[in-house]
Amino acid sequence: MSAGAERQPAPRIRDIPRLRAIAHRLRRQVVTMAARKGQGYVQQGLGAADLFTALYFAEMRLDPTDPSWPGRDRFLLSTAHNTAIFYATLAERGFFPAERLPDYVEDGSPLEINASERMGPMVEATCGSLGQGLSVGVGMALAARIAGSPARTYVVLGDGEMQEGQVWEAAMAAGSLRLANLCLVLDLNELQAGGHIDGVIAMAPIDDKWRAFGWHVIRVDGNDMGALLDALDAARARAEGPTCIVARTLTGKGAPCIEGVMAHYMSTPPALAAQVLEELGETAP
Amino acid sequence: MTTSPGIADFISRRAAPIPRFYGEALLDRARRDPRILCLCADLRASTETDIFREALPERFFDVGIAEANMLGIAGGLARCGFIPFVHTFSAFATRRCFDQVAMQTAYPRLPVKIAGFLPGLTTFLGVSHQAIDDVAMMRTLPNMTVIEPCGPEQMAAAVDAALAVDGPVYLRMKRPEGEVQPFTPRPLPLGRAERLREGRDVLVVAAGIMVPKALEAATLLAAEGIEARVLNMASLKPIDADAILEGARHCGRVVTAENHLVTGGLGSVVAEILAEAGVPTRLRRVGLRDTFAEGASPAWLQEKYGLTAEAIVAAARELAG
Repeated sequence: MSAGAERQPAPRIRDIPRLRAIAHRLRRQVVTMAARKGQGYVQQGLGAADLFTALYFAEMRLDPTDPSWPGRDRFLLSTAHNTAIFYATLAERGFFPAERLPDYVEDGSPLEINASERMGPMVEATCGSLGQGLSVGVGMALAARIAGSPARTYVVLGDGEMQEGQVWEAAMAAGSLRLANLCLVLDLNELQAGGHIDGVIAMAPIDDKWRAFGWHVIRVDGNDMGALLDALDAARARAEGPTCIVARTLTGKGAPCIEGVMAHYMSTPPALAAQVLEELGETAP
Repeated sequence: MTTSPGIADFISRRAAPIPRFYGEALLDRARRDPRILCLCADLRASTETDIFREALPERFFDVGIAEANMLGIAGGLARCGFIPFVHTFSAFATRRCFDQVAMQTAYPRLPVKIAGFLPGLTTFLGVSHQAIDDVAMMRTLPNMTVIEPCGPEQMAAAVDAALAVDGPVYLRMKRPEGEVQPFTPRPLPLGRAERLREGRDVLVVAAGIMVPKALEAATLLAAEGIEARVLNMASLKPIDADAILEGARHCGRVVTAENHLVTGGLGSVVAEILAEAGVPTRLRRVGLRDTFAEGASPAWLQEKYGLTAEAIVAAARELAG
């Protein structure tokens, strides 16, 4: 339970072009993974590639050689279906060899469509049932506080997921407990299974909702690497309570043929995958 | 703020506090094990956690009326090395947040101890508060342990049994009412039935508040010349199948008694074990039968729904006849 020695296994990358290059590689990987079986959340993965890059390569203290290191920062993917980008990120960060990525959604593989802790300790909780990740994050942030650990907890939550009542139970608890070591990144792609979020349940005003529950809110363009880094810096510097980074992301970001297309389940047959890869290009824009 | 004179009279009418056998045992173990934390969903006195809050406030968290969130928080704490005990009424610890129990405690096999009170028909608060299906839900969950102490004498042992399991545990507990007679604490061995009375004519398998009623029934049956062997099945999962099978073979007749629906709980467990082993025996199950109850006094409800010594006697008599 003790915090353990301070360590930063890999230097935080602060170089924006380098981070953009990583995000680009992840995007290509997402499309390649999903194309193999025609399954996987490509739209959401491309939209969130910059968030994942910022968190895993610039922000979080993790050790791929010792993934259950007690002093590590915790990451919870509450939108547990956004796995193509999640697994691509874990592989790129060195948690497992990229050669395993072709196993994605293969029968018998732990690389399931909804992330399961069967993968190993880098899946900190099994969250396929939406709305549960933030509660677990509150528990982890509370544990770090009790243990006197500097570990921080990061939760990626989907916008449609905010319709789950438990999210607000957790939001209320985090605000009440003033958990400054908890940072929520809201992946605001405005897309859920039934289409545009506001077409299902009116969600606005989102920022005010979080503020009302005791959170500091920072709204950023979730595909702007510099803005994401600044927001994560600000969240880390804040001692008063939890921070919610409302990150507006664009579904399909990087491939104009699917950018902004509001399709939660979009299959990626070979021809479409090839077109998306071509539009993404071999190197970062 | 001004307070009207005499308002305190209306806040608590109880003459003497109910003893806190569970709460004291938990606090005692927590003093010795810093990993133990206490979570509560706005039911401090009713779950005997008020004394924990007073003694160890830095390890007590009232998360408010939000059971689903409480289970998720407990999962997060357990993943970071703590042993959280979560507290609410049984109905809210199971029916209300079954998905969270499954995904954040059972599937990951985390040491979260779920302490539920007001089992079955032990409350006048009505169907919303009467957990009549909780054993069925919790015992069907993979990795979950289910324990129902039979009274104050097994409360401390129930806490120890929960701590002995390196995984999630559901404790189904009934607080004492009124004055408690002096008692000797008894152990609660996991996976082992406790034989409380020997007999050769009928095997009575009981849990929780039905255990003292089973003993009472055995006394009544003895007066009729029917000797009952009585088992206290405080360890509902894992369950002592050997004791059930040996008792069934020995007596040839089996009666189960539970403060719960007969579907999914103790009666079902016993029927499954007997059927799978192919033990030819006659079986009667005492408990609620495909019905909700209502808000009324527990004694009246238990009478109405057949959770009585007389119901056990009638079932045994029917088998013996």
